[in-house]
Amino acid sequence: MNYDMNRDSNPAAIDYGKLVLEDRVHSRIYTDPAIFDEEMDRIFHRGWVYVGHESEIPNRGDFQARNIGRQPVIFIRGDDDEVRVLMNRCTHRAAVVCPHESGNAKRFVCPYHGWAFLNTGGLLGVPHSERYDDGFDKKDYGLRPAPRQAAYRGLMFASLAADGPSLDEHLGPLAKAEIDIAFDLSPAGKIDVSCGTHKYGYAGNWKLQAENSTDGYHLGFLHRSFVEISLQRAGVTTAPDYGANAPYRLRSLGNAHVAWDMSSPAATRWLTGGAAKVPAAQQEYIDSLVAAHGEERAHKMLARGGPHVLIFPNLVFIQTHIRMIRPVAVDRTEVFLYPYRLTDVSDKINGHRFRGHQAFYGPAGGGATDDLEVFERITEGLRATVDPWILIRRGLGQEQIESDGAVTGQFTDELNNRAILHYWRSVMSGEKILGSTRETAI
Amino acid sequence: MPSYHDIQQFLFFEARLMDEHRYDDWLALWAEQAHYFIPAGDDERGINYSIALVNEERPGIEDRIKRLKGGAHYAQDPKSQMSRVVSNVEILEENEGELLVTSTFNLTAYRKSVLDVIAGRTTHRLKLNGAEFRIAAKKVQLATSRGVMTNLTFLV
Repeated sequence: MNYDMNRDSNPAAIDYGKLVLEDRVHSRIYTDPAIFDEEMDRIFHRGWVYVGHESEIPNRGDFQARNIGRQPVIFIRGDDDEVRVLMNRCTHRAAVVCPHESGNAKRFVCPYHGWAFLNTGGLLGVPHSERYDDGFDKKDYGLRPAPRQAAYRGLMFASLAADGPSLDEHLGPLAKAEIDIAFDLSPAGKIDVSCGTHKYGYAGNWKLQAENSTDGYHLGFLHRSFVEISLQRAGVTTAPDYGANAPYRLRSLGNAHVAWDMSSPAATRWLTGGAAKVPAAQQEYIDSLVAAHGEERAHKMLARGGPHVLIFPNLVFIQTHIRMIRPVAVDRTEVFLYPYRLTDVSDKINGHRFRGHQAFYGPAGGGATDDLEVFERITEGLRATVDPWILIRRGLGQEQIESDGAVTGQFTDELNNRAILHYWRSVMSGEKILGSTRETAI
Repeated sequence: MPSYHDIQQFLFFEARLMDEHRYDDWLALWAEQAHYFIPAGDDERGINYSIALVNEERPGIEDRIKRLKGGAHYAQDPKSQMSRVVSNVEILEENEGELLVTSTFNLTAYRKSVLDVIAGRTTHRLKLNGAEFRIAAKKVQLATSRGVMTNLTFLV
């Protein structure tokens, strides 16, 4: 593995064991451009990265331009109905062949010298090819596919390394079970992710969003006014308990995947008819889920209020949407939210989900914008390095192991930060290798 | 019916209230039955199929104002300083007591060393309430709606 030889011969190699401790982490992991470069290599350009869901490209020729780490790719359904991840780079002189964010194309023609590629990736034509020598064969110059591609429930992941653990190993059974909730809240077990995008950016490191996505501690503080005003509107008079006595759990699922489980006895009682009358549209929806998945599973999923899980490094499911985190630079991140419809569920229920999403999320929302504000305040505060440490010790040593193997903590514990950053340390230090290339490093 | 001048004056007044964060005064411009809509990208599939940046009726607009006034909407602490130009006012439809008016705006917003320029087209459905206008519906098509944005928590 040549890349490791190169790195290990570097006398300035970063000692990640000193930057990430059991109970705290050093500011540098969020601010050092050299660490960001290494993250791109070790995490985003070798490991499994989420690219898109197949419902975003339902028809042959449909495509979405995406990124894997810093590298541009095309997520596309070819004329052969295969879904692929192709590198967005002309094999001749490297220009991106697809300048559009999304669309439908039979072929991509590079504007520079007219090389034309099929939507399956193959090289269709090279103008004036007679001037190339006999050793030149068109079939060797199709758009390069991402070396490894695999899907789970239509979620396409890709890895830019030829060898490494499989997607199955990367996800593991616990994370898959969380993802399943998102899909099985549709009686058809399907979602439609072609409903538009909320796009936001912030001046800060990508890990801030990854950690925040399952940070239970902030909910009762940062979002207090949003929660209070929403509850007032809904006529709810008892404030929810998001504090240290809340019955909710954070679940570390392995490989830095983290979920929060907000199942509550109150939600379950309501669903099983123990409380006030359930509105007709809601009842119809519940009945359809019971019919499709059985009462126990349907009620369990509904009591959860939807999926809420980080799939490390760049995919999050939160109730109504899929979230894709895009690291741009050490202090610049873009986040794309894809709210989705539950298939075979009424407009009333899906519309209600959308309205709830819109009020909180997106650049004009009343919740997520406060998260972004805090990320930027953190970026500014990280420059104060008299004490460069950031705490991740809340609930340390009080973890429990559930019967399914998940390591859990109370909802407000910093279990999420520890699960993410300790895994991050093992990958960054080379203790755990997410993928390797067969090519010689130059 | 109101004159072109009256309509312009109303749009300029609304712009000034938004620039100056005069939340209650701005809310008072809205009709009881109201719809405030800012699409995210395109809205071809309809409101139950396409996500919007804002898609609110009167209660949603009131909640937005409550959050902004409450002092705990940190994305507006400190507040954005704004100046916007409203122009290209056209009257699209004129019916008994109701008008459909479109205009463009160019908004400069400054907050914490970041300068944002936001532009777009606003279409107002205005109802006459005696001699005064009330906003029955407002749609803002941002020129940057397909782009990455960070903070659109002020009024547009």
